Amino acid sequence: MKTAAELTFGELATIDEVDNSHPSFRRILEIGFTPGQQIELLSKSIFNDPLAFSLRGTMVAIRRGEAQSIKLL
Amino acid sequence: MNKDSVLPNITLVGPPNSGKTTLFNLLSGKNHKTINYPGSTIEYNSSGFQEKYNINANLLDSPGIISLLPNSPDEEVTIDSLYEHPEFGTPNLIIVTVDASQLSRHLLLAEQLIDSKFKIIVVVTMIDILGKKGYKVCAKDLEKKLNCDVVKIDGRNGKGIGKLISKISLILEEQKLSATDKPIKIDEEICESKLLKHFKKIEQIESEVIKKIVPDENIIEANKSLNVLNQPLQHKPDSLTIKLDRIFLHRFWGLFIFFISMGVVFTSIFWLALPLMELVDESFASLAGIATDYFGYSWYGDFIADGIISSLGAVLVFVPQILILFLILGFLEDTGYLARGAMLIDKPLSKIGLNGRSFVPMLSGFACAIPAILAARTISNRKERLLTIFIIPLMSCSARLPVYALLIAFLVPKEEIIWAGFILSFIYLFSIISSVLVAAIVNKFRKSIIREEDNSSFILELPTYKMPKVKSVLRNTYTSTKQYLRGAGPIIIGFSIVLWMLTYFPNTNPNISTENLTQSEYHEAQKIERVATSYASDLGRFIQPIMEPIGMDWRVGVSLISAFVAREVFVSALALIFKVTGDEETIRSSILQAMRNAKIEGTDQKLFTPATILGLIVFFVFAMQCLSTVAVAKKETGSWRIPILQIVIYTGIAYIATFITVNGLRLVGIA
Repeated sequence: MKTAAELTFGELATIDEVDNSHPSFRRILEIGFTPGQQIELLSKSIFNDPLAFSLRGTMVAIRRGEAQSIKLL
Repeated sequence: MNKDSVLPNITLVGPPNSGKTTLFNLLSGKNHKTINYPGSTIEYNSSGFQEKYNINANLLDSPGIISLLPNSPDEEVTIDSLYEHPEFGTPNLIIVTVDASQLSRHLLLAEQLIDSKFKIIVVVTMIDILGKKGYKVCAKDLEKKLNCDVVKIDGRNGKGIGKLISKISLILEEQKLSATDKPIKIDEEICESKLLKHFKKIEQIESEVIKKIVPDENIIEANKSLNVLNQPLQHKPDSLTIKLDRIFLHRFWGLFIFFISMGVVFTSIFWLALPLMELVDESFASLAGIATDYFGYSWYGDFIADGIISSLGAVLVFVPQILILFLILGFLEDTGYLARGAMLIDKPLSKIGLNGRSFVPMLSGFACAIPAILAARTISNRKERLLTIFIIPLMSCSARLPVYALLIAFLVPKEEIIWAGFILSFIYLFSIISSVLVAAIVNKFRKSIIREEDNSSFILELPTYKMPKVKSVLRNTYTSTKQYLRGAGPIIIGFSIVLWMLTYFPNTNPNISTENLTQSEYHEAQKIERVATSYASDLGRFIQPIMEPIGMDWRVGVSLISAFVAREVFVSALALIFKVTGDEETIRSSILQAMRNAKIEGTDQKLFTPATILGLIVFFVFAMQCLSTVAVAKKETGSWRIPILQIVIYTGIAYIATFITVNGLRLVGIA
């Protein structure tokens, strides 16, 4: 299954679920990465980490490891 | 009981970037104060309401949170004090700010507060930005859906404040008549399981209360576009922000721009602050002169001039640099750029156990460690926060500059000023590299040094780029400067006075032959004799054995001890001990002359050589010398462990590194 960490620029994707075993699970949800939301990769920092996504009309930067816990449809 | 606690408590709550501070500034009047809690990141601003609003209540601004579920020990304290504030008690009313174009995220907090049975008013902010996208929020509908009061406020002109005020007054009046329910702390597990439900609900609410603005004059067109009317808001970040971030967050150019802009920030701080610092320095020197003239040459005259006035000067001399740094940082923060900086630098910093959020505190450390340590409060992860606090004293703060300037002047002839700049840059580079190394090593041994393990994460909203608001930047700058003055001021002044006493007593009135001396020459000679026979010199001779291996003697030892007040005191201590006299103009060159002539006591060997001077520079790069930093580190970490480890480890490294530098250089033939 594809995760948010594997998105390419300009590709729109919908969140299926967030891995609830990830230590930052709750915070990832709270910032707005919830099932059904559409996200788009906007930029990658050097070493491809962290990643910035468009989400609910704003931009949120999260680490690659956190993006890997976001499963896409 | 505190008299403030009798007044109703109205607390502002909101996610970061939701316009909470703007609202606080619009509402707050006199009696503005900041309340900190030791050992934690909590910082509440409190104030009364502006008089014209005629509301007699305490207004509290709480730290930005996105949910009532704590994710770190410090957030837990923040949320606990929301339920029961130690000074102001349970809020009578909570005002929640939500960004109009972020309803589907920001309403989460409002929902959770309602769940906890708080009495709340929702304030919808940034309606202008939503308006530009062609949408508006229907406050009436939102009121019905949430079942609480809703007010729209335009932060630019304060429109809507009147309505908010009347709602607040009404609620306070009602509460006078009937007691309100006390809020109940929601169970974490239940709340977590409700997260998705909450989101579903607020997504639904958002789609129903946000409506497309239909221009009145174009009713026919409006009818045509009726099918668009109920279309939900298109969630797209600000397009200008996306465009700018293609450059600023570019994986290569982004980092390049970042380093260039940080370089510019630094150099401009030095150039802007230097004349102001000199001004402060000179004014206090002349003030001390006036005091001596007025009180005459007596012990209390000396105490006022050299003890009190000079130590006040020692505190205030850093204010220009701190002011300028926080002004620039504040503007960068307010534009939204600093969040990008944190994202760009997160990966490299995470390699040494730090976090992208450590970056701003570390940067502030180049001005002064005190506001820098306080700035580390923004790091939610406790381990990373403590580690950041741990390495901040290694950042080359402004108090080291006068010391380096003197030592470099010894090494480089006056004509070759370019070399001096080159050496100074090299010292900065050296201190940055060594602090990275130290951080990496401390991170390796964090189990015994930091003693905290915490889930490391970096989840940061990148706010829309915008023009900075002068008022909020000024207020933050003012707060940081006040923190420095409060944190460092009393310690620097207190310790300076102790040090003055150590150099003044017991031989307060030494006998000196008055032959061929003017009165002021006589008093200068007395001053020097007094120091040579003072407690300080006894102390210095006591530590002589420690100083010998690094090529120094007791006089340098005493100066190094003095530097514990604040590093730049080293220079004036050297001047005192090496019997340098003269006016302010010539004092620097006189110290240099005295240093060139100084011999290690009882021998013919020169005390200051290129080797020992380089050794001293190395010592100042590492040593933990600032007592105020120790005090603030103790307060912020909640125990003595970390500051004591900082003293032992950094001063230990400094001593060993100096030993290696001095003796290594001598081995290769550089005396």
